Amino acid sequence: MASIQLEHVTKQYPGGVTAVDDFNLSIEDREFIILVGPSGCGKSTVLRMIAGLEEITSGEIFIGDRLVNEVAPKDRDIAMVFQNYALYPHMTVYKNMAFSLKLRKTPKAEIDEKVRAAAKILDIEALLDRKPRALSGGQRQRVALGRAMVRNPSAFLLDEPLSNLDAKLRTSMRAEITKLHQQLGTTFVYVTHDQTEAMTMGDRIAVIKDGVIQQIDTPQNLYDHPANLFVGGFIGSPQMNLIDATVKKVADRFFATFGETDVLIPPQVMGADVAASYEGKSIVIGIRPEFISEGGPHSDCDTTIAGDIDLAESMGAEKFIYFVCEGYPCIAKVPGKSGIQTGDHVSLTIDCSKMHIFDKESGLAISH
Amino acid sequence: MKEKQAKKREKEPFFERHLGPILITPSTLVIFGILFIPIFYALYMSLNRISFRGADTIYKFAGIKNFVNLFTIDPWFKSSFVTTILFVVLTVATEIVIGVAASLVLNKKFHGRGFVRGLMILPWAMPTVVNAVMWKWIFNAEYGAANGLLMKLGIIKTGIAWLGTPKMAFLCVFLANVWKETPYVILLAIAALSTIPGDLYEAASIDGAGGWKAFWRITLPMIKPVLLILLITKTIWAFQTFDLVAIMTSGGPQNATNLLSYYIHFVAFKQTDFGSAAAMSYVLSMICFALSFVYIKLFMNNDDGAEKKTKKAQRRKLATAHED
Repeated sequence: MASIQLEHVTKQYPGGVTAVDDFNLSIEDREFIILVGPSGCGKSTVLRMIAGLEEITSGEIFIGDRLVNEVAPKDRDIAMVFQNYALYPHMTVYKNMAFSLKLRKTPKAEIDEKVRAAAKILDIEALLDRKPRALSGGQRQRVALGRAMVRNPSAFLLDEPLSNLDAKLRTSMRAEITKLHQQLGTTFVYVTHDQTEAMTMGDRIAVIKDGVIQQIDTPQNLYDHPANLFVGGFIGSPQMNLIDATVKKVADRFFATFGETDVLIPPQVMGADVAASYEGKSIVIGIRPEFISEGGPHSDCDTTIAGDIDLAESMGAEKFIYFVCEGYPCIAKVPGKSGIQTGDHVSLTIDCSKMHIFDKESGLAISH
Repeated sequence: MKEKQAKKREKEPFFERHLGPILITPSTLVIFGILFIPIFYALYMSLNRISFRGADTIYKFAGIKNFVNLFTIDPWFKSSFVTTILFVVLTVATEIVIGVAASLVLNKKFHGRGFVRGLMILPWAMPTVVNAVMWKWIFNAEYGAANGLLMKLGIIKTGIAWLGTPKMAFLCVFLANVWKETPYVILLAIAALSTIPGDLYEAASIDGAGGWKAFWRITLPMIKPVLLILLITKTIWAFQTFDLVAIMTSGGPQNATNLLSYYIHFVAFKQTDFGSAAAMSYVLSMICFALSFVYIKLFMNNDDGAEKKTKKAQRRKLATAHED
């Protein structure tokens, strides 16, 4: 069990490419933290630096109280689960799991006990004599987890462990890894590019872009209060609708105007003082698809817009409605029983109290 | 359905119906001609005493006498046999050890790697005759490069008769063979190494296996199938070494480099004793065959033993379940 601290960590590759820039992250003991971001954002590099597989250009990494910059991977007391599992193909499942203990000259009886205990938790006892090639993707992933578990490490590092599995298996493994974390009570650092995994699994999520942390917070806070345009667009599925607008004052009320449409900016979203300072300036409004509904206004805060439906995608319980509003492609999420069809012209209502407002220039959220 | 298909096939012209057999017949005949006829003819020869009278070849059935004679009467067979075994063991072991070591270096990333890899193939790509003549000149006692270099460096004062003394001559043929054959090991070992995923080494380094431990526990087991193929082919080729000896030493001095392949040629074409030569060829082939068999057995057992055991256990379980 250990906390992990990254202080001003930078990784520069030969040729001047900066993969990670002045990265600061404090992971608490027993925490399940998710590093999420698009491909090439440096999230895997961060994980590999914690593991010791990648050298750090500058900065310091602590595992527990120990500075590990110069410590070999095997002495960092961590275990890693790789995207391609990285199981030793020439060893049986048992030997794969026992390998690290064997190298540490652990007594045979103790190795056997630990391997069987881990196998029991992961329900792979029947597979112990098989070679990895005789296993399915899901089984391999369990073995990789088991190999990490037997060492009883102070932290688990998981590098996109579910991305090679099919959708159904991914969902069930997601739940199992979360359960495993609760069971083991160890620090988990989990890298993924899938925001669904991030939202469902982590205690906290660090959203990373171009090697820089954009925001670290709980999943709910990231969803409710994205710090900038990137986080707003990245977290949530389908993606938040982002529309360029200008702040306009009519009577005592402020509106975000784009094209012919005026969307009310309620005071709880943007205080009058702040709104006044942005009057006539460019902003970006963010509306999550789930806050656009069918039909007329339901309350004072609502604004009604009209749109031609490009595509209505039925998911069963819900329907994704793709339409264009004043030249901006938008998505709305409506109940599955809704009668909206592709080609319809309909009125849709925005719940403005759930709107997010970002500064156009800096991209930062200004509403909160 | 099946009837329909059968009817349809009957309607096809003869050529199309029998296309497969027709296509493989020529090559089968060629293989039969150049492989099976000589094999059986050699067996026939090995069981006969063969002599020549004018243009006639006279075969006199001798049973296994030719084989017995090799180990009782023949003055050189035993020493040639021992020399050959020594040569095979030394060259194969040296070539594989050096080859794997060099491939580990050449598998690392460095400037000019492609060039070095290309250069390395050269000795192997060169015809053996050229290689043999080159080494013969290098080890020439009077004006060879080996003596010249060592004298220039002041290591020796007078030239060494490299190919003139038994031990030295054996060493020279051994060196020439290693120089020529090692690149092949490097080539195959590099190919095998490049198939090992990098994350295995990363996983191993976290598990506690770096450097030598990673080599013994990850690299070696992963390239084992290729090493097996190398071991088999290298052993067979080493047993067949002929041109190096023929050109560099003609089997001498004092039979120190008289490898079996060369001795067979000597007995057959210099002593015109085709019966004994054929018997020796059979002995040599059997050794190669037996060694290949042992190698394959050894390697395969290790690898799949555990899996076979599990499958057997599963089958037994199923059987008992059925009985119940």
